[in-house]
Amino acid sequence: MSTPAQQPSIELYFPSELGYEKVARDAVAAFARRVGFEQERIEDLKTALGEACINAIEHGNAQAPGLRIAVSCVCEDERLTVEIQDDGLKHYNGHHVPVPIESKLRGLAPLRGMGLMMISALVDEAGFTDSPTGGNVFRLALYRRRPVAAQ
Amino acid sequence: MTSANSDAEIPERVIELRLPSRLGYEKVAMDAASSLAKRMGFNGERIEALRTALAEAVTNAIEHGNAHDSAMKVLVMLTVRPDELSVTVADQGRKQLDQDQTTLTPSLEETFEKQDKGGWGIWLIRELMDEVEFSTGPSGGNQVRMVIHLEK
Repeated sequence: MSTPAQQPSIELYFPSELGYEKVARDAVAAFARRVGFEQERIEDLKTALGEACINAIEHGNAQAPGLRIAVSCVCEDERLTVEIQDDGLKHYNGHHVPVPIESKLRGLAPLRGMGLMMISALVDEAGFTDSPTGGNVFRLALYRRRPVAAQ
Repeated sequence: MTSANSDAEIPERVIELRLPSRLGYEKVAMDAASSLAKRMGFNGERIEALRTALAEAVTNAIEHGNAHDSAMKVLVMLTVRPDELSVTVADQGRKQLDQDQTTLTPSLEETFEKQDKGGWGIWLIRELMDEVEFSTGPSGGNQVRMVIHLEK
């Protein structure tokens, strides 16, 4: 009675409102723990996911009421992938140039806006990917072993 | 007066979660629910009760309702209202729950005699939650709705 080994996956939908990203973080952390990731990597994943969800709420869904954010996670052998999808009221144009941290520290620029940089530093893969439905889809991935090239 | 339009303003928020039917994934639902319950202001004791009830409901769905078929999903809906948290757990009904089982209190004496100590899950859920309702979902799966009230 054995079904073919399947890649475990979960899906989560939550209201596009600040604060609910914490529920997504805790659900995804539990999933990552269940598939055997170390706590330290899970903490990085939670931080990255929280930022990505806040981006989706504030930018992708433009804080419009009544919308949802979809988060899906799948674990292949060595790779855990998390996708965050919004309705794409605003599209990420990819031309965003981060303001230097010095300007932020001197109070010349808003403190926010470092999310994407921080996310990239925390996980092994991060970036926008194609969406079949027109919203923004942001993908994060974590490997069980860090790629050698990252050193 | 409340207009029909104000229906759209019902302060209700829904979080939906789909899990594979494999033991261990009930933790995902438990952690999502406790994160939400904490945010709503439930105390630690109530959150532990919710975690236990949800663990029982989701493992029942995995083991019985979906008969460990990992391709089948367990659906968990968390509905936030100003004064309560409602949690619905639904399976795909590979095996139907005998409705008689949902009201029985297992006998302690018999459990001592038996090798299998199971069968207390539904009783436990009833003990821990403020409202519990078993039903059959629209697509024929088993469904349990559990509510805890927020005492202010």
